[in-house]
Amino acid sequence: MDRHKANDDQLALDRRSVLKGVGAGALAVSAGGLLAACGSGIKGVSTGGKSGTINIGFITPLTGDFSDFGASDTFVVNIIRNTAAYKNGFTVGGKKYKVNISVQDTQSNPTRAGQLAAQLAGTADVILTTSTPETTNPVAVQCEKQGTPCLSTVVPWESWYAGLGGDPLKPTTKYEYCTMFFFGLEQFLGCFHPMWQRIPNNHVVGCMYPNDADGNAFRDGFEPLIKSVGYKVVDGGAYPDGQTDYTSMITLFKSKDCEIYSNCPVPPDFNTFWKQAYQQGYKPKLATVAKVLLFPTDTSVLGPLVNNIATDSWWGPYMPYKSSLTGQSASSLAAEYQSSTGDQWTQAIGSTYSLFEVAKEAFTAVSDPHDKKEVANALHTVNYSGICGPLDFAASNAPAPGVGVIQPVGVQWKKSTGKYPFEMKVVDNSLNKLVPIEAPLDPTYA
Amino acid sequence: MTWVNDIVQGVMLGGLYALFACGLSLLFGVMKVINLAHGDLAIVAAYGAVGIVALTHMPGAWSVLLAVPIFAVVGYLVQRTLIQASLNRGVLTTLLVTFGLSVVIENALQQFWSANARTLQIGALATDHFNIGSQISIGYLDLVILIAAVAVLLGLQYYLSYSKQGRLIRAVADDREAAQLCGADYRHIFGIAAAIAFGTVALAGTAYGMYTSFYPSSGSSGFLVLFAFEAVVIGGLGSLWGTLLGGIALGVVQSIGGQIGSTDQVIAGQLLFLVVLAAMPQGITGFRRAA
Repeated sequence: MDRHKANDDQLALDRRSVLKGVGAGALAVSAGGLLAACGSGIKGVSTGGKSGTINIGFITPLTGDFSDFGASDTFVVNIIRNTAAYKNGFTVGGKKYKVNISVQDTQSNPTRAGQLAAQLAGTADVILTTSTPETTNPVAVQCEKQGTPCLSTVVPWESWYAGLGGDPLKPTTKYEYCTMFFFGLEQFLGCFHPMWQRIPNNHVVGCMYPNDADGNAFRDGFEPLIKSVGYKVVDGGAYPDGQTDYTSMITLFKSKDCEIYSNCPVPPDFNTFWKQAYQQGYKPKLATVAKVLLFPTDTSVLGPLVNNIATDSWWGPYMPYKSSLTGQSASSLAAEYQSSTGDQWTQAIGSTYSLFEVAKEAFTAVSDPHDKKEVANALHTVNYSGICGPLDFAASNAPAPGVGVIQPVGVQWKKSTGKYPFEMKVVDNSLNKLVPIEAPLDPTYA
Repeated sequence: MTWVNDIVQGVMLGGLYALFACGLSLLFGVMKVINLAHGDLAIVAAYGAVGIVALTHMPGAWSVLLAVPIFAVVGYLVQRTLIQASLNRGVLTTLLVTFGLSVVIENALQQFWSANARTLQIGALATDHFNIGSQISIGYLDLVILIAAVAVLLGLQYYLSYSKQGRLIRAVADDREAAQLCGADYRHIFGIAAAIAFGTVALAGTAYGMYTSFYPSSGSSGFLVLFAFEAVVIGGLGSLWGTLLGGIALGVVQSIGGQIGSTDQVIAGQLLFLVVLAAMPQGITGFRRAA
């Protein structure tokens, strides 16, 4: 009897200690939520309404799968905070406002991006966001819903437009609060097609487009464009992200003799594909990739296999443009990044920098920075020239309302003898003749 | 010829799956410990190998020789402390503990290594290959992984079946109390089994690191752990050579599925898994043992 009782006690104790553990965990989790709630609550009180501070929220993937996109953002935000305009504050409607930038990391998680936007929407006067539809779309959707002005970049405009519920084929809807600048499928073609033309080939394009937002946008929008310029499309199929073996696609591309290769996969999948393609003898004459190999860190993984792969570049030290905030040139900004971080420059420096230039343009054009409608309207009409070049959100030839277009150039990764093993060199400037050509266009595999 | 190549590539892929599933098969199949941190531990090993290369400047491929024994020791210690403690509290606790371990590992990796992609650099070996005819091309790395998988799984099967220690491990797994009555120190025996399992996990993780790039989240977000579980179940619980067959069957079916339609690649593997579960829940090797 007694022994049983002792056992029961033991069990009860165990159960209690387990419950205690679980409770502590739950407490820790809920405390985190509470703290976050308190944080935003306090912010709301101090800056809401007619406060003397303009709050800018910046949502970006600093860590996770898309961390390459966000790698330079911390540097850029520091530079921006130290510009005279942001340090001294903006003068809006004759009144001086301090400017506060709040940087939030999505950890490359779309759900988290949406949550961050929902949290910031109450307190921020504008939300800036960058890097892939997985980041910008959930943010833009929250902003449109909650009526907070939003400016996105580094997302094809078709993906952004569709993400907000519009039809990119009939882009007539104007979103009240959301704007963006970047480019779209037409510019991808304008960038890639001249390069295809310069390498003698059989006009057959192997297309590796996954079953995700970007992949389906390319399948629906880019394949017809490829056909429209007289090239044959061989679609490798809507494979799921994260697939480990690409034998069937490689076999297909080989059997149809696809001398041009086009894609828009997530980076790890491209690494797997490209290694397997080399092993199994698929060697296209020219590979023009999108979404991968945009940044120098990508090149370290594939090593020598990246040589002469072509992609698009929306910004670089070769851009003949200057900051609208300080007058600093693109090449000087890239050099400053390299000397202060030790890392190779990335194209995201320019696009993130321009987010803050455009925000300043919009705020200095309104009478009340806390009037969200007025700020959103101002964003829709910004027309200026900055580090990414001239940008007109209300241009007559804008592809959709609220979309500013920057013109990319064609680049190839080239072996370098300098500090960094590979460098991005401009090989084609069909879309922007102001950018000087730096290197000849070479076949990916001769 | 296309089909022949598909099957060859499928077998190669199956080698990676089987190697990945080996540690799981030992812990889950033989010792009945469900280790949800399996994939994350493999990624830790891959990061460890990258670290070893960075510190010692040894060629990437040789880092395996250090990573495996280090991981074996880690496995013994983790088993004697964390897993044993949770085993004493029931199966559910083991699930929770290893799940927690998985979350902790992923976040610790993110903190320490950042979220950037890494790969274990092994130079030309990563892409070197030889051709059989015009259609079939076999990568040396894939072949090495397949050979390693066959050697490790068959070796372990032999060890478990015929060596004294192997029999002790099975005895302890089957009936702990009975084995204890016969004088077996079951904690130590489990520790040894875990050390072997972790060693193979390190081997799989480093192989994966050479095969493609990885992130802190690769261990839990990718398909690999799912495929590893499937390989174990398809092959039959408790049978290591079954796991080898299961991995290869999964690889081949996926490869053929991919040839039918590239969207069918992953689903073909899942279908095989379902069919095996429904038609022969004992796994491919189940019939043999029942007979």
